[in-house]
Amino acid sequence: MRTIRLLALMLLPLAALYSWQAKGHHAFSAEFDKEAPVSLEGVVTKVEWINPHAWIHLDVTGGDGSTVAWMVEGGTPNTLLRGGVNKNSVPIGTSIKVRGYQAKDKRCAPACKANGRDLTFSDGRKVFMGSSGTGAPKDGSDPRDRR
Amino acid sequence: MDVFNQLIYDFAAWVDTHQWSTALHESFYVYNWIESTHVVALTLSLGMLFLIDLRMLGLAMADIPASTLARRLSLPMFLGFTVMIITGLLLFYAIPVRSAQSLWLRIKLVLLFAAAINAWLFHRRLRTAGQSWDTAVKAPVRLQVGASLSITLWVLIVICGRLIAYDWFDCRAEPSSFIATLAGCIADQEQF
Repeated sequence: MRTIRLLALMLLPLAALYSWQAKGHHAFSAEFDKEAPVSLEGVVTKVEWINPHAWIHLDVTGGDGSTVAWMVEGGTPNTLLRGGVNKNSVPIGTSIKVRGYQAKDKRCAPACKANGRDLTFSDGRKVFMGSSGTGAPKDGSDPRDRR
Repeated sequence: MDVFNQLIYDFAAWVDTHQWSTALHESFYVYNWIESTHVVALTLSLGMLFLIDLRMLGLAMADIPASTLARRLSLPMFLGFTVMIITGLLLFYAIPVRSAQSLWLRIKLVLLFAAAINAWLFHRRLRTAGQSWDTAVKAPVRLQVGASLSITLWVLIVICGRLIAYDWFDCRAEPSSFIATLAGCIADQEQF
């Protein structure tokens, strides 16, 4: 009887945690909108090569000539290095193209925010810039995704 | 509150100027190791603590005298706590300003303070409770209350710790003025 009670007591928080996890465990679904894919072409203005996530800031010029500041989240410096990019790969002023998903918070203050999936350099080289297993849509950008 | 927030901010911004803080923040391995060690140490310390608490409630190892269990498990528990505190401080050292202005970290620190007081009271009650109940299934009610509080507080502390990762209430996200004050945001501060 005591064993059953103990088991129930241990399973209860687990069940609560599970339902909570389904909503918010993955960094991706908590902050980013899988229904809002973006493709950004712009010029790098700032690079934060930091844990737990690197950030690439870029100015994106629209068709009407206006410039919008974006900040794109990448993986950890470690995963990015393994993927083939380091801090010196994206010096300020570099033209890049980033595909990713916009943040759920679309106020764009102080900059529009997105989760980066892949990064294409002007010479056509493309690297995966996200993290695996975050719950981001399987859009083919992550070479480790199993189909 | 504003003076307090300014003090915290100034301190965090000063820590941020340290070369080692930046090195940790930009490291390829060490930050990840510290973060993982923090979580592994948590399973050790809370695993031991929860067993002691559950014993007091009569829910685990009721056939072992409570004092024996508490004595045997406290060494690994304190070992875990020590590693957890050191790695926790290092995590703060790596990202001082954002952490100092994290609503979740602030709630977590208040809860940690409460857990520390609860632990102190628990041990005082344990000393004065004598040995008469040691082999009983349940500890005296006063100790049971302390054990329940301990479990509740630590579950909340772990949840708050996990939520620090999310940026919903970051100063950069410009939360409402009430949240901004609680989180310690400074008007027109430098972005870190």
